[in-house]
Amino acid sequence: MLRLEHVTKLYATSVRPALDDVSMDVDAGEFVFLIGPSGSGKSTLLRLLLREETPSSGNVFVANWNVARLANRKVPKLRQRMGCVFQDFRLLGDRTVGENVAFALEVTGKSAHTIRTVVPEMLELVGLDGKGDRMPAELSGGEAQRVAVARALANRPLVLLADEPTGNLDPETSDDIMLLLDRINRTGTTVVMATHDRQIVDAMRRRVVELHLGKLARDDARGVYGASR
Amino acid sequence: MTGLAFVWREALAGLRRNITMSIAMMLTTAISLGMLGAGLLAVRTIDRTQDLYYSQLAVQVALDEPTSAGDADCSSPTCTGLREQLQGDPLVGGVSFESREAAYQRFLRIYAGQSILQLVRPQSLPATLRVTLKDPTRGDALVAEYSGRPGVRNVVDQRALVQDLFTFLASVRNAAFGLASVQALAALLLISNTIQVSAFTRRTEVGIMRLVGATRWYTQVPFLIEAVITGVVGALLATGGLVLGKLFFIDRLLGGRLISNAIPAVGMSDVLLFVAPLLVVIGAIIATATGYVTLRLYVRN
Repeated sequence: MLRLEHVTKLYATSVRPALDDVSMDVDAGEFVFLIGPSGSGKSTLLRLLLREETPSSGNVFVANWNVARLANRKVPKLRQRMGCVFQDFRLLGDRTVGENVAFALEVTGKSAHTIRTVVPEMLELVGLDGKGDRMPAELSGGEAQRVAVARALANRPLVLLADEPTGNLDPETSDDIMLLLDRINRTGTTVVMATHDRQIVDAMRRRVVELHLGKLARDDARGVYGASR
Repeated sequence: MTGLAFVWREALAGLRRNITMSIAMMLTTAISLGMLGAGLLAVRTIDRTQDLYYSQLAVQVALDEPTSAGDADCSSPTCTGLREQLQGDPLVGGVSFESREAAYQRFLRIYAGQSILQLVRPQSLPATLRVTLKDPTRGDALVAEYSGRPGVRNVVDQRALVQDLFTFLASVRNAAFGLASVQALAALLLISNTIQVSAFTRRTEVGIMRLVGATRWYTQVPFLIEAVITGVVGALLATGGLVLGKLFFIDRLLGGRLISNAIPAVGMSDVLLFVAPLLVVIGAIIATATGYVTLRLYVRN
């Protein structure tokens, strides 16, 4: 589903590569934790998958897309098949919860009829049924992240990328979000989640890929956060 | 297409969000386009005035004294010969003969009641061949061709006499146009700036939209529609201004007895059927082009 081949990413502002010759595979349906301290290259890796960045060398594949060589005009198509969730939620502040979810469907050209049926389905899936008319500012952090998850899933993505999705949430709310992501994964959606929340990683016992200073430091099939230290 | 309804909604929302900026942009566009429209009306009126004058202006071939004295209906060989030559000339549209007596009668009519009448005898006036031209600007060719021919006293191109007036009118027209162009440039820059500001205030949103997989169509077309709406509303306001200007200013100015015979009136159809559509099209095109270029240059996402 996802494949990185000897990927190196150099930013113009830094001498040390953000990613240094990283290769990895993620199969369809997997749940992968991407861990490592700040600056280890987790976010860069996700940005490469979303084609927010292109690698300095190496190849990035998502399904059948050669992401690094994708023509600019095809990038939206790629992103429409990927869901993404961020620490800061990234909801559109001037739209209701329902409209935020609908937006992801609108940009893929779904009919008004489809949108009317899918949006409530998604809100129900993330446990926000009936809250479609709220504005993002009226939501708690956990609720806002649920909206982001609903939006990410609306187009039935091949893979869900989550960049520190629990970073702004208290532990209890974080657990709820993790339960949600776990449930989504069990229905077949590949999930890649960057985090440095030790508790969550240890509790879930899923595949753990650790980055250190841009290099792949560890790849355990059923790992915990601190195994290598 | 669901996308179309969506970008429309987005555009209208964008206009509401930036309401003060939108209004400022519409007014500036309106003023600029209004100036341009006034310039266009001036051009049209001046062209019409020119046509009106040219259709009445002619080249006068005045006959010499012996021919004028003896010929009341252009039957003398000199006059007939000249007339046939003129009629055969490719520059000439029509030729008519005015005898000395007819010229004197016209003179009496024009200057009725004035003291100059006592000084003028029929003998002072020549018989003339009035020549209208297919192309009124070619009078000089005719003057050169027929001056000094037997039986010809002199050849006068009436157009040359009013040339100064038209030169003046042309410079008025050019000035109006120059001013309108400067205004159009100002409108252009303002539209560009407004779109930049509008795009800048929404850059976070646009970034999110791009992440969710929105194409340029979804993130940029709303800006363009905003710009077009502004341009078109500006053009409509400008048209309204021109209509008011015509009713309350130009009609009064040109309605005076002296001037109404000299300059043709500006018709409502000139404003609504000629200038208004042009302004709407120009407004829309300027806004779209400026918007597109601005987005290309300043908005990377």
